Amino acid sequence: MNAIPLRLVPALLATCALAQGQTYTNFIRQIQLPSGVQWDATVAASGSQLSALAINPGGANFQLWTVLSSPLTNYLLASAYVSTYAPLATVVVRSEDPYLTIPRTRADRPFWVDLTISGLLTGASNPAASESVTLMHYVQSYGTGGTGLNLDRTQATLLSQASVTTNGLQTLTYTANSVPGAVRTKVRGEERFSVFSIADYQAPASQLASQFIQIWPVADGSIAGITQGMLIRFTVPQLTLTLNDLYPTSTTYAQVYMGNPVLGTVGTVVPGSALVISDTVPNSRVLTVKGYDQVFPSDGLWTMELLTTTPFGTDRLAYVTFTVQRIISMNTNFATDE
Amino acid sequence: MRDVATEEQLVLAQRKAAQSDPMKNLAPSNVADPAVLNPPQDLLSQSDIVCFGGIATLVPKHAILQIPETYAERLKFASGAQIIGWAEFYAANRGWITTVEISRVQAEGKEPIAADTRKQLTQCRNLVVATYLGGPISLLPPKVAPAATAGTSTKSTEPIKP
Repeated sequence: MNAIPLRLVPALLATCALAQGQTYTNFIRQIQLPSGVQWDATVAASGSQLSALAINPGGANFQLWTVLSSPLTNYLLASAYVSTYAPLATVVVRSEDPYLTIPRTRADRPFWVDLTISGLLTGASNPAASESVTLMHYVQSYGTGGTGLNLDRTQATLLSQASVTTNGLQTLTYTANSVPGAVRTKVRGEERFSVFSIADYQAPASQLASQFIQIWPVADGSIAGITQGMLIRFTVPQLTLTLNDLYPTSTTYAQVYMGNPVLGTVGTVVPGSALVISDTVPNSRVLTVKGYDQVFPSDGLWTMELLTTTPFGTDRLAYVTFTVQRIISMNTNFATDE
Repeated sequence: MRDVATEEQLVLAQRKAAQSDPMKNLAPSNVADPAVLNPPQDLLSQSDIVCFGGIATLVPKHAILQIPETYAERLKFASGAQIIGWAEFYAANRGWITTVEISRVQAEGKEPIAADTRKQLTQCRNLVVATYLGGPISLLPPKVAPAATAGTSTKSTEPIKP
């Protein structure tokens, strides 16, 4: 038996608590091939260590899972196959969202795939499995309103595949996602990039590395209660802010400022309109706002904007321009009678 | 700050992206999808759950060697329980969980667990979990012994009487 030392690199903290009390717990599972023996190594919350379980000639598969307690769900964050001559591969999917637990982004944002291969050999006498690996790109929709909970990932669609024959780091840039869906602003699903070894007599094609990124829809919203060109006299009307698909980490609010709409203007936040989301999935809400007269200190033309701030910047979801006129002008005639 | 992306913008962006798929810069490949040939299994389906006192943990299937009737209910996930790592769970539940350290060869079923250990297990009233260096490990059933050699357990036929 070969004792092949392997560095286990827990990429994430062993336990990651989220703001709303949801807690993920990570497990590293080593699966020996071909016997199928499975072992959960006890690891520190962060850092690296050698695997203490020697690897057979058939190799071993290392899987990094994260488990959500409620609802009970598991996600495969990363995996690596190690054997006598199989190349080593790592796949890291990056986005503009610094969220650590699961790579994620929004339907209108780019993402990057860092593919690192080492250990590929060249030479006529080398087994084919040591000379190249296969990169697979899978896509899968969560469906309308879906969150990926209990998703059957065996139903993912293989979008494309390529052969990699050189060692080193390659970065693939994706300016748009490919999650299936007719309405591109509302797609929600995931894209997975997996590297497989070439099958040979000793082992079937085995997954060397894999990582996925979640794609969440673009938010939309509307302002009801004030209409374009409306004249507001004595009492401000009740507002209804309808917010759909707010990004899992986002702050959404309405602001007002004097004048016509000018993108980038910083105004006064309408009291009661701010909504902070810190979740694992998008949220939809309807807010009712009233009694916000104090944000209009003077009469004139005003603009109200509905903004959402995410790791990708601030987006304007909706706006409306109206006139506030609270001074009563009276035209009267005075006359004296002597 | 910008206006939120429109449907038209994203449709256009996807068309452009489809034409410049970065995978096209790599060598083409046309192998059978390994994920279809050998579909991945999830962690929960390959694990047993041990749950008690509002906390729970996962161990590989076949790592639990003995389940006393008293504790059978503790192998079900109770809604609201918090999943934690094995080490933390075991530290909090040593009173009713016993671990048995086994070797890699024993885990593979190539070597039986020592007779003394097996005898102790029969007298143990705790839930017993196989571990390797403290981590839970599956214990495969013993491999079928190779065909017995002559003289060990063969039964002689009756000699033919003249």
